[in-house]
Amino acid sequence: MRPATSTQLAPQPRQSGTSSHEVLVCAEGLTAGYENRRDKTRLIALRNVSLDVRRGEFLAIVGPSGCGKTTFINMINGFVKPLEGSITVDGKPVKGPSSDRAMVFQDYALLPWRTVESNIAFAMENRRPRPPKDEQARRIAEVLEMVSLTGFEKSYPHELSGGMRQRVGIARALVTQPTILLMDEPFGAVDAMTREAMQAELEKIIAKTRQTVVFITHSIEEAVTLGDRVVVVSNRPGQIKEVVDVDLPRPRFDAEVKTSARFAELREHIWSLLAREALGAKREGEA
Amino acid sequence: MTADLEATATPAPPAGQQNPGGGKVLEAMTVSRFAPFRNTVITIVNLSTFFVLWELLAKAQIINPLFFPEISDTFSAIWNGFADGIIGPQLWHSFRNFMIGLAISAAIGIPLGLLMGAIRTLDLILSPYVWAMAALPRVAFIPLLILILGFGQSMQLTIIVLSAVFPIMVNCMAGVKTVDPSLIRAGKVFGASRLQMYVKIILPFTLPFVISGINQGIARGLVGMLIGELLGGGGAGLGFLLDRAGDRFDAPMLYGTLLILAVFSVALVQSMRYLERRVAPWREVPKG
Repeated sequence: MRPATSTQLAPQPRQSGTSSHEVLVCAEGLTAGYENRRDKTRLIALRNVSLDVRRGEFLAIVGPSGCGKTTFINMINGFVKPLEGSITVDGKPVKGPSSDRAMVFQDYALLPWRTVESNIAFAMENRRPRPPKDEQARRIAEVLEMVSLTGFEKSYPHELSGGMRQRVGIARALVTQPTILLMDEPFGAVDAMTREAMQAELEKIIAKTRQTVVFITHSIEEAVTLGDRVVVVSNRPGQIKEVVDVDLPRPRFDAEVKTSARFAELREHIWSLLAREALGAKREGEA
Repeated sequence: MTADLEATATPAPPAGQQNPGGGKVLEAMTVSRFAPFRNTVITIVNLSTFFVLWELLAKAQIINPLFFPEISDTFSAIWNGFADGIIGPQLWHSFRNFMIGLAISAAIGIPLGLLMGAIRTLDLILSPYVWAMAALPRVAFIPLLILILGFGQSMQLTIIVLSAVFPIMVNCMAGVKTVDPSLIRAGKVFGASRLQMYVKIILPFTLPFVISGINQGIARGLVGMLIGELLGGGGAGLGFLLDRAGDRFDAPMLYGTLLILAVFSVALVQSMRYLERRVAPWREVPKG
């Protein structure tokens, strides 16, 4: 559905997010699934999903496990081809992975035999034209500074903590200055304290770069904390229940935004949308 | 050793970096000067005790000396064997044969294993033969090989290759197949072509598997080497020494040859393990 549905909560003036509403990613009538040739069945992960991502916005997608969030991001990426529907990025149909779309993975996906700087360089060295070596070094230094990892250029991933590894993952994604940054539950594998710290840092980085982000999470709190808009997705087959505008001021970690009544209200509202799904899924799992 | 681990386990923070709470992140600590030699000392004490106990037990003659010679006799058998040129040429024969056999096995097993891992159809075609050959006990081939190749070196080499090539192949195949799928996805996201994917992700990921394959190949190849020398005749190699010492009731020589074989095997396996650690330090568990 188009973001025609706004929240049923009392309308409030937008204080943050995008000023322009230029559409960057346009998905129309997407149905996606996985084919099982042996059983001659298709598992439908997403059904008839239409969604726009606006340039410069932070779009959080929240939903229960197995609701097709990852499938959606993988379609933007070009890993998964939709069974029906179309998807365009910057007006061009998605044919496969491309340098204008970078991704941060839940399990970091760093190359363990490469140092931090070499892992980041990986994002620049495969495609042509390849930036010259000194340009690469300059950009690596810049992104490392951005994720506060200066001084760890020569470290190997196994020498770093989970949070630090994911900073490398973020630096690697940002180094090519992609049009859109896709994040697939990036903080799902780090501990709760690191998670909060990483969220705050991500907000700072995004504020600086005005980066368009599609961020997948199953934490409602995280979605409300980070997103300009939150897409609430129902269980399999995934369908959009509602697109919630998050009208909280930024930065959300500086002021007492997270303790505000509005924050709680938004969180409760999204929970009420998902509660039945979560409980239903649980009952199904028990049966 | 312990001190060494402590120092490398935590990444060195940039020089002069201070904690907000105060105090340096990296502090100097005192370590005993003898700490690095601790394990060596333990090993020396351990082995000396073992040999002394052996000597005492043998001197007591509780067991027939024909089956259990004194260790001093065994060592002097080794010494004399080298001095009289009995052991040296046989050791060299075995070593050379083994290394050639291992090299041939690696040259066949590594590329074929990698290809089987990468190309599904090839895997489907070859895997029944590979698994049958990998599972069949090597001794079963001896009569056939003697029939075809006769006694001697070519037969001994063949049995080494037959023993070592399959573990190498199977490990290489497993390595390619178990490449972390998220690394493959990362490769795709960041624009790696098919060739770049192999060179930059799949091969580096597989390297430790290749080495552990060679490691298993060494263990199996040693068995193959001895089978070939014991049963294949040809009158050369450490297996031949064992066989002859047995025929002559020469217990010290028998034990001496076994000791040499033990040192030979341990040296090979340990050097590969060292290489394994050097090649893939990230696979080591950092602590504990």
